[in-house]
Amino acid sequence: MRERLEEAKKWAARQPYRLWWVQLRAVVRLEAKRNVLAWRSLWIYFLGFIPVVIIGLHTIVDPAKASGMGEDTMVLAGIFQLYYIRLGIFFGCLGIFSRLIRGEMVERSLHYYLLAPVRREILLLGKFIAGCITALMIFESAVFLSFTLIYAHYGAAGQAFVMDGPGLGQLEAYMGITALACLGYGSIFMLLSMLFKNPTPAAMIFMGWEFINPILPSLLQKISIASYLRHLMPVSMPMHGVLALLTVVTEPVRPWAATMGVLVLTAVVVGISCYRMRKLEIRYTTE
Amino acid sequence: MSVYKRTYHSYMGEVTPLRTRFLVLTRYGFSDVWSSRITNILFAMCFLPTVIGLVMIYVMNSDVAKLLLGAQNIRGLTIDQRFFFGVMQSQCWLALILTAWIGPRLISADMSDNALPILLSRPITRWEYVLGKLIVLWTMLSAVTWAPLLLLWGFQAYNAKQPWAAANLFIAGGMVAGSLIWVALLSLVALALSSWVKWRVVGTGLIFGAIFIPAGVGGVFNAVMRTDKGFLLNIPFMMTILWHRLLRVPALFFEQRVSLSLPEISIALALMCAACVLVLHRRIRAREVVRG
Repeated sequence: MRERLEEAKKWAARQPYRLWWVQLRAVVRLEAKRNVLAWRSLWIYFLGFIPVVIIGLHTIVDPAKASGMGEDTMVLAGIFQLYYIRLGIFFGCLGIFSRLIRGEMVERSLHYYLLAPVRREILLLGKFIAGCITALMIFESAVFLSFTLIYAHYGAAGQAFVMDGPGLGQLEAYMGITALACLGYGSIFMLLSMLFKNPTPAAMIFMGWEFINPILPSLLQKISIASYLRHLMPVSMPMHGVLALLTVVTEPVRPWAATMGVLVLTAVVVGISCYRMRKLEIRYTTE
Repeated sequence: MSVYKRTYHSYMGEVTPLRTRFLVLTRYGFSDVWSSRITNILFAMCFLPTVIGLVMIYVMNSDVAKLLLGAQNIRGLTIDQRFFFGVMQSQCWLALILTAWIGPRLISADMSDNALPILLSRPITRWEYVLGKLIVLWTMLSAVTWAPLLLLWGFQAYNAKQPWAAANLFIAGGMVAGSLIWVALLSLVALALSSWVKWRVVGTGLIFGAIFIPAGVGGVFNAVMRTDKGFLLNIPFMMTILWHRLLRVPALFFEQRVSLSLPEISIALALMCAACVLVLHRRIRAREVVRG
């Protein structure tokens, strides 16, 4: 046992970490540039920033603060839980992360990467990190702007709510949840795009899975991103009818456990993706 | 024999009439759609609500079946407009899945292979091209929406002990009208989005996105602006209200709180269809884009 451990240590010490780091940075830089500054990513910006535009309109149309701050806090919670998590980030990540591998296969350009002397795991991790940078940049800034605009509307009272009240904590929670959602959904869609030629039907099934998750047994609830994120929400939303499935918390989980749940799930899914990447074969004729 | 010694001559066989020439595209469209095994599975899956509906209608109208199943005292389930609304809703949502699968197959391949200039250089106009593709979708979607629903209605009319058909003719009319509106909307959305993107993978995602994302945006608009007008972007909601009104199903609680009128919904749906036609008009052209 000790010998094996020694061997493993020697093997680990022999690996070219510096080279991997340089290659990883190069792939991330290249991919991030392609993802962030592309015309085809415009619709993802639309997905992220359309609530910001609507809230901005509201600020102009309703300057007299006819609606109370408490009501606006609930509105923001609704926008975040029902729009951003369930639609905006979901479809945005589907677009960003499906493109990383499957998009390159469709464009018939993945073989350039595969022919380069780079470990496939490094390539995949580089692409995943670049996807995360794009998703985080778009959705974090959109959530931040939505939050800022909805309270900037109230002037000094809004500032007091954010700086001296629960506002800052809520903002931190929203930003954290957004990051976790991008990581979780991103990893899953990247894997789906490697498993299926057309990942959208599988993504829609996953969407249904996320929707019905609260009524599933607790073991199955752990294989879901939204079920972890629900426990981290700073404001609870009372919903009625079928929509209650989107916000109901069936079994209380500590915030750190929920956070670890998403991170572990992401790590497992990225690990499976790395394994798939090693075995990946391209047949452009069937694409 | 050497190939260069062949002599070529023009086609001497029977020529397709000019008016129906676009149906060649329909024929090839069908063969392409049916070439996938998933299409077969999805198509078969779309009939699941109809089969369940047929069984329920039979059981509800047969004393022997009720006795055998021990279901003599079933209450609450009656074969009325609510029942047909439920089946219709299931059929129509399954039709969306079928559309997302077959819609992008029809046009995206022609776009990505730059085949439009070749196709449109034949005696086929741009609108005939769209019509040829539209017929494929329309036929497939009709086969899973209004056709099986009419079958169900006919089965109930045949099995009912009391005179039923004449009094419930509005259900048949409502189902056909509601399904046709849905089929037209889905077909146009699918073709417009497929013409916009080159890849089928993206096309499938876009069709789902085009239905669900505007609904979410409309929801955000409603919540922020404290209005109901955002529902005019919510296709599932508008269709549910429309189907309710057509089948004379009593409005649900959430519907009663929304102040959307039928003309508003009709105008919103018509505008969506018009936008799709505009997209098709812009995109379906005999041109080839070469990016260097």
